[in-house]
Order: sequence, then structure tokens, then C-alpha cells
Amino acid sequence: MVKSLIAKSLNQALEALDNHSYQIVAGGTDMLIQNRSHTGMPIGYKQDIIYINLIDELNYIKEDKENIYIGANTRLETILESDITPKILKDVILEMASPAIRHTATLAGNIGNASPAGDSLVVLYLLDCKLEIKSINNTRTVFLKDFITGVRKIALNNNELITKLIIPKTNFTNIYFRKVGPRLSDAISKLSFAGGYLIENNQIKDLRIALGAVYITIIRSREIEKEFIGITVDELVENKEKLIKAYEPLIKPIDDQRSNRNYRKKVALNLIKEFISKIEEA
Amino acid sequence: MAKIKFKLNDKTVELESDINRRLLDVLRDDFSLTGPKEGCGEGECGACAVLLNQKIVNSCCTPLANVDGQEIVTIEGFSKTKRYQIIKDAFSEMGGVQCGFCTPGMVIAAESLLNKNPHPTDQEIRIALSGNLCRCTGYNMIVKAIKKAAKDGEGLW
Amino acid sequence: MKDISKSINKVDNEEKISGSAKYTADIKIEGMLFAMTLRSSIRKGEIKNISYPDLPKGYYIIDYKDVQGKNVVKVIFDDMPIFTEKKISYLYEPIALVIGPDKQKIVEIIDMIEIEYKEEEPLLAWTDSVLDYHFDKGIGLKAFDEADKVITYDYQTGYQEQAYIETQGFIGYPEGEKTTLIGSIQCPYYVKNALIQALGEREENVRVIQSTVGGAFGGKEEFPSLMGCQLAVAVKKIKKPIQLIYEREEDMLVTTKRHPAKINFEAAIKDNKIYGLKAKVGIDAGATIGLSGVVLSRALLACTGAYTIDNLDISGNVYRTNTVPNGAFRGFGAPQMMFAIEMFVEHIAQDLNINPLEFRNSIVAKQNDLTSTSGIYRDPILMPEMIEKAIEVSNYLEKKKTYSNPNIYKGIGMSYFFHGCGFTGSGEKDTIKARVKLRKTKDNKAEILIAAVDMGQGVKTTFRKLVANILEIGIEDVIFNNPDTDFVPDSGPTVASRTMMIVGGLVARATREIKKRWHEKEFIVEKEYEQPEYIKYDEKTFKGDAYPAYSWGVNVVEVEVDKTTYQVKIVKTWSVYDGGKAIDERIVFGQADGGLAQGIGYGYLEVMNHKDGRIQQKNMTDYIIPTALDMCDMETYLYDNPYAYGPYGAKGVGELTLVGGAPAVAKAIENAINKRVYKIPVTPEYIMELIDNGKN
Repeated sequence: MVKSLIAKSLNQALEALDNHSYQIVAGGTDMLIQNRSHTGMPIGYKQDIIYINLIDELNYIKEDKENIYIGANTRLETILESDITPKILKDVILEMASPAIRHTATLAGNIGNASPAGDSLVVLYLLDCKLEIKSINNTRTVFLKDFITGVRKIALNNNELITKLIIPKTNFTNIYFRKVGPRLSDAISKLSFAGGYLIENNQIKDLRIALGAVYITIIRSREIEKEFIGITVDELVENKEKLIKAYEPLIKPIDDQRSNRNYRKKVALNLIKEFISKIEEA
Repeated sequence: MAKIKFKLNDKTVELESDINRRLLDVLRDDFSLTGPKEGCGEGECGACAVLLNQKIVNSCCTPLANVDGQEIVTIEGFSKTKRYQIIKDAFSEMGGVQCGFCTPGMVIAAESLLNKNPHPTDQEIRIALSGNLCRCTGYNMIVKAIKKAAKDGEGLW
Repeated sequence: MKDISKSINKVDNEEKISGSAKYTADIKIEGMLFAMTLRSSIRKGEIKNISYPDLPKGYYIIDYKDVQGKNVVKVIFDDMPIFTEKKISYLYEPIALVIGPDKQKIVEIIDMIEIEYKEEEPLLAWTDSVLDYHFDKGIGLKAFDEADKVITYDYQTGYQEQAYIETQGFIGYPEGEKTTLIGSIQCPYYVKNALIQALGEREENVRVIQSTVGGAFGGKEEFPSLMGCQLAVAVKKIKKPIQLIYEREEDMLVTTKRHPAKINFEAAIKDNKIYGLKAKVGIDAGATIGLSGVVLSRALLACTGAYTIDNLDISGNVYRTNTVPNGAFRGFGAPQMMFAIEMFVEHIAQDLNINPLEFRNSIVAKQNDLTSTSGIYRDPILMPEMIEKAIEVSNYLEKKKTYSNPNIYKGIGMSYFFHGCGFTGSGEKDTIKARVKLRKTKDNKAEILIAAVDMGQGVKTTFRKLVANILEIGIEDVIFNNPDTDFVPDSGPTVASRTMMIVGGLVARATREIKKRWHEKEFIVEKEYEQPEYIKYDEKTFKGDAYPAYSWGVNVVEVEVDKTTYQVKIVKTWSVYDGGKAIDERIVFGQADGGLAQGIGYGYLEVMNHKDGRIQQKNMTDYIIPTALDMCDMETYLYDNPYAYGPYGAKGVGELTLVGGAPAVAKAIENAINKRVYKIPVTPEYIMELIDNGKN
């Protein structure tokens, strides 16, 4: 039988992690399914477990001038209901999870799980989300994009815990999320898209595109974005094909039980086209 | 093994148990509360739904560890309330029940919704039910039942 | 007298809403053991050697060697072993049950079992035809000699999983000499008869009881006989209570599904009309034949859809493959055919440049027309007024025209369909021979003794209502417990939209007799099925009246297609049905909503496929059924058209409500994207292909 522990304070959790290697469980919605054994039997974890769900001090959402801060234990529902949550984050939460999951799951849990189909990651990548990571003797901050290194792979040391999400406040003319799931709710995405832009004086001041489930990690290319920032809207529209072409080689989806690569690729490109059309219309 | 204490249907309960057990199994096997049911075992169908601190959660995806010190209400506990009576009558009169396997979960979803939003639109009801699968009804009459419950129970939520 | 159709609250609402109703998994028996199934890990081949570990005390392994009777599950075509002896013909074929008090230990024991296989290449192509049917009507193929032109298209349908929310399961226990099973089943006597054969037991030593059933949809028609036999063999040997309940993944991987089908049509066109129709139909049985022949029959009999076509040449094959066996699912072959023929007739009209609506309306079946098997549609057919109603309430004509604009990705589609009620052909008379009993009790109550199962469709309510209405007593004075084969006669399985029409008809007859003798203290009345004189059917030649009665329907579905992602949103549905006479309107509306949701899901949403013989969607996360957000407001209208032999005129409605959904949604998508649809489900992936390369 695996050893398991309930941490009720951050300090207790960090101390425990410092002394022993644990798998961390937050809300548990993904972890319980991934480790499912049989009806009536305990969850079939393969490692020792630390439960952090009851650490109250990590359950908050607050802001200052520059950033929004979301504690690692804050439930999706709390984020959804907060006035300071950016609308795009509310949209993604509404589309990605049923009420029961929203009351249990956390964004930090999604991040720790690092599924390439994780919808929230697409939006968090777009927003340049950073993470605060703590160990008993150290606190560090890392960009989400650098934290997730592959399918279900993250750069977290054994003695560390994600403690908060830091989302910079950014001004956008328009920003939106589109989930492409097999049905209209409560389903794992075939792919997902998030896009945002800022136009001032007919000039593209900011342009961001993120795509989920079409590569082993979320796709977000600052190099491509940079090329198109600073030009006028007309120039962007003229160079629409060039932009789409730039993304094309990055999109390398797979065939699986939910969809196929042709569909994923084509729809990903359609979504980029649609995004440019929105800029054109605006 | 650890000692876990929580409020279950208005009573404080304590048990010495493996905290890696699913809340669903604890409710069904240790407390003989068989209203919550296993439909899929992975948080898709909502047949196992209970209220945790008044909000709907899937008990198949909730480890016992996460329940320590919290408040759980199952359909058995909720069925003692006046709000239940309103929802029950509405489900009956609008034809919201067929095989019944999803029904306790649907009732819990309705309560969780009305608790937050006593006057939901059809679309808000559908969103609130989106984690509860029903294969019999096509949801049409369940949506109508919840609409009726909201009206008949005016002031209760 | 008040109209019987007026709705009452269902009698089992209270216990179901409060969570106190006991489903199989809710029943606990002192000392109950758990059973898990050891299954093959290959798709085709032979077991060369199997070695079981030494078992701890209190643990058991039960396999074919323990079967005292015949090691075959009694279905219609007996070709499925209870436990395989050697031969493996599909992935996860059952080999043994491992039984004991602790599941963790059982899992460990299963892990320790070593099996050596001789593996063979599985057959997945549809080449091994095991059943071959053919019939014609009128001048048959000769019609093609006179044709001005021949139009041909191929249609294809996929798997569909019943996805009842309660998985399959039984609890078994010994009662002295008797082996008793309680389970989630549609057909107590199918299970009982299978058990008698498997155990080699006398009838009185086998008892089957129905627990509350959490949805079935055909999935609990024949499959439970397999599980039941396995468990009964174990109970008889071990002499302890044992639970065998599938978890979702096991249920999805090993239980029967709707047969995938391929249908090729050729139409002989003469004077711009369908003069003759040739159909070649193939269905995939999976590894065993089971009910596949009957499924194919029902598909073939529905080959003209709701239309009359004078000359037919119809053939069909059941193919055996090394995949999971397919079986019963609401509609039973008709949904596949109804999709294909509805699309074909529409496509013919388009090819002939005739308004499809006018073309279809001109050939809709009428009273006294000949059916596909040259039987007669004896009762009035109300389709013209039903179609008019559907058009009016949905604003079909205007929407259809507006949505034809290629820049508007909206669509509306309308299907016409029928469903033959009851068993095919002479099945009721020759095979089922239904018997019902009704008891008048000392305290002036009536008890219904039948084997019909309430699986959500409301049988408990409608039957009590039926009897109460005839006797003019309160519904609380009519008793109807879940069937227990120790107490109820074999009134046949709860399938084929037969329950109210056939069993209800018998119950109504028995009730009328009870009414006459009401003054007597206590007695039992028994009735047996009598085929209406005029029904004559030859199963070998497919000639005559295939069904005693037909129910009819029209579905209209409106959709929106997202032009960027090709996702479909169902906007609204309108349905019009003739089910004879509703015994309870609200219950029929419930069947209408739920059946259509399943039919629409089959048409655009529910993807299941196998890859090299392995089912790809093994849980409810990957097998997508509609949620409340995917469905919509549904409007239903019922037309009374009483059938003389049904109680109060009732015909079947359970399956009728499913069969029109797929063609209606497929046509709506055609309207939205201005491309032709040839297969279901019409997924976004398929829509993308159609928009890029499809035919206008």
C-alpha cells in the first residue's frame, strides 16, 4: 500500500516534500481517473501521495496593478465567479468543465498534469502566465511555457510545489478562446485555440496566438508573433497567407480515438484565418 | 490509514480508513448510502454526484482525503428538505424520470444550480446539467422540470 | 369514461428520485463474493496452455470445465460459448471467472494466470458470410429491364453503443437446490432458459429476478444471458452469493453494440418514378451470429422506408469477423436501413431534378398498399396529415429554402419512417407464445403477473393504469412487482416494441374477464397469445404480413454548422407520431424525446470504431453521447390511430422514436452545407471532407 498524507498548511506540505518523494494530488479529478483501479477499491496510485486540497492559504484570487494572482488551490468555480478574472479565462473554464468538475479542479492541477489537450493551458500560454514555485528553502518564478516540457512532463523538483499562478494584466482590443470538442460541453478537446490582439492607431501593437492539442505541448510562437507586431492592420491582412504559412509547419497533430490529424490541422488553420478576419472586421 | 471526520447529511461522522478510497465507495459501502451511483467511474456521467459544502461534486473523483472537515450531503440527506419536495414534484409532473439511474445526480445538480441561481434560463439549466448524462430522456423534460421547480419553489432558494 | 391517454405521475417516481430504488449494485448480501472475468488478450487463435496459480482459501476459478450443461449461451443462434474452451474469436473473449471476497486479491490472481496462445491473423474484412437472405416483390429484378435509367449509391452506418448509465450486472445466490439470479435485464425468461441449458437443471431449480434497471435499450436483451450463465455456473458450484458487475470500461469493450452496416441501392427509374429497387445489405455480426439474422431481417423488411415501391430485389448478408459480437439495440436493424433509404430517395429526387418533398410525398405508403414482403398495410396510414403538421409547426418549407443559400450554414431536415410492431413474422405465434396471468385477490385488488420489465419506459405505470382503467378501480389497487420467474409466466422478452401492444393486449383481455367475475373471491385468469387470423407470413420466402401492425412517424431537425470547425449544433426538433393510442401521453412524450436524442446522436455525434479488432472508445470520455447542452427543445405531436388488437388501440412506440433521427439530422446537415451525406455519423471530420470534395 502506498503511503499517503493530507497536508493542511503550506509549511507542512513543503516539509513533507522535502523529506520524501510524493505525487501531489490537488482536486483529484484527473489523478483519480488516471490511477483508477476498481469499484470499491482504493485508488491505485503507483507512488506515495500528498493531498494538498485542504491547504486554505493557497485558496485565493487577488490582484495588484500589474498582475492577477491565483492560489494553487483555488477551485475553477471560484475563479469563474471572481470579478478580477479576465473574461477569456472565465470562458475557458465554462467550456472545459462541468459544474461538478469546476467545484473540485484547480488550474495548478491542470498545469501539473500537463495534458496537451488541457484547454486552460492554451489561454494561460496566451496570457504569458508565470508560476510561483516553492520549496522549503526557496521560491522561484518560472514562465508556464518553460515549466511544461512535454506530454505530462513538467520541470518540478521533488521537493517543490506550485503555489500560485501569476497572470500579467494585459490590454487587448479583443481576445477570445475557441474549444473544438466532440460535443458542445464536458468533453476533452480535439483542439483548441486562443487569440488576442491590440490595435492602436490602426497599428498592431500586440498579437498572440496559442493552439492546443495539435502538438505535444501548446503551440505559441513569439517569433512569428513578433514579425507581425508593429505593422498596420492592412499590412497584416495583406500578409494573411504568410502568417498562416508560418504556423503550418508547427502544427503536427496526431490521429487518435477522438479525431484525425487532417481535421485537426485544417481546423487549426481555419481558426487562425478566422482570427485574422476578426482583426480585419474590427 | 487515517482518522477522517466530516459532516454527512447533517451528522458528524468519523472513520478510520484508507484516505485513498473514493468518497463514492465510502458512502455506498460504509454508510449504505446507495443513492449516489457509479455510472462511469471517471467524472463524466454525474450519477455519483453529491453536495460538498453545498456544491455539486462527483464522488467518484473525490478522494476521502479531500473530505476531511468538510460537509457532504447525499440525495438521502437532501431528500429530507423542503427544496427536495419541490424538485421531486416537478420531476414527477414534468416526466423527468425514466430509468432513474441518473436521477439522484440530476436532483443534486438542480439543487446546486438553484442554490446559486434561483431563476435560471433554459440555457443556464442546460449548462448546469452538462456534467450529468442521461440516456433515456433527451433532457427535454428534465430541463422543464427544473424550470418548474424554480417557479414553484420561489423564495426557497 | 376519461381518456386513458391523460397522464398520471409514474408509480416509481418517488423511489427513483429519492435514490432509494435498489439497482443491482445496491443489493448487498451477507458473505457476498466478487467475480471478475479473465479474458483473452488476442483476437484470434487458440489457447495452447493455461496455468492457474495455487489459490488462497476462499478463492475460486470457474471455467468451461465447470459447466455441467451445454457450454453455449442459448440465444436465437446458439454459437457463443459460456466460457471458451480453446478457440479465441475476438479480443477479450471470456475464459474464466475469478471469484473471492477481496477484489485486490482477485486482481492479483488474474495477473498470475499464464496463458499460452497460438495466435492467428484476425479476419476483419466482411468476407465470411454466415447468413444469406434474399427476397423479391412484384417483378423483382426484371423492373430494371424496363428502366429509363438506373441510379445507384452506397450508404454506410457505424457502431452505436447503448450507453445505458447503469452497466451490466447480476447477483447470484443459492436457495437450497435452486440457483437464483437477480440482475439488470430486459428478458427474465431469456436468462432463465439459458440457465436451464447451461446448468443442465430442471426448470424449478432456476430462478431469475429483475432488479430495478438503469437503462437497457436492447443492450440488456441477449447479453445478460452470457453473464448470467457464467455466474450461475459459479453459484451452483461454490454455493455462495456472488456479485458480477461490469465497470464501464469492461462494459464498453465486451458487450454487444449496434451492427455496422453497408447498404448498396440501385433504383430502376421509369417515367421519373422509382419503378424498382435493388438492395444489397451487409451487416457485421462480430465474432458470433447471435441475433444478427433477426437484425438483418428487420433491416431488409424496412428497405422501402415509409414508401411503397412495387418491384423489389432485396438481399442481405451477415458477416462474421473477429470483433466483439454485435446485438440488439433499440430499432434492431431498422435505423441502419431507414437512414439509407431516406437518403437514397432524397438523392434520387435531386438527380432527377424533382422537388424532393413532392417526390417523396407522391410515393408515401397508403392503406392497402403492399408492404415490402407483399403483405398489406391493413390499417389507415395518416402520413399525409402528419407530414403537413410537421411542415407547419417547424416552418419547414421557408427554412429549407432560406437555408439552401450556401452562405448560411443552417439546415433543416425531415425524415419519414415506420416501425413494425412486435416480433417479425410469425415469431409471436411460433417462438414466443406469450402467456400472462392476472390475479384477483381477496381484498379486491388485481395483480399483474407478467415478465415485462420496466427499464425506464414506464411499463409499471402504464400496465397498472391499463388494468385500473378497465376495472374502474384505483391504480393503487393494482399490484405489479418486478418480474420473478418463480411467480410470473413467460410473457416474452421486453423487446421489439411489443410490450404494450402484445403483452398489454393480453393483459387487457385477462382484465376484462376478471371484471366479469369480480364478485368472486380470489382467482387467476391466464391468457395466451392468439395471432389475428389474417396474419400469414412465410419466413423462408419473406412473403406475407411481416408485422401485425405498423407505427409511423415524421421527424424534423434543425441544425447549425460552424463553418470554421464544422461542428454541428442541434437547434430544435419537431416530431409527429402515430403510435395507435397513447396509454399515457407523458410517457410517450418521454419515449419520443429520448428515442430521438439517441437517433440524432447516432446520426451526427456517436463515434465508435475498432482498429484491428480493438474498440477505440472504451469509456464515456471517448464515446460521446449528447449532454443537455447538445440537445435542445423538442416538440412532439401524437396522432390517435387505434389498432384493433392493441389495448385501447395502442401500437409500439419504443423503437419508432429512434429510427427517424439519423436521416433527419443527416438531411439537415446536407441542407446546411449543400453537400450530400452517405454515411453516419456525420462528424465534423466527415463534414470537412464533404465541404472540400463532396457532391452537391
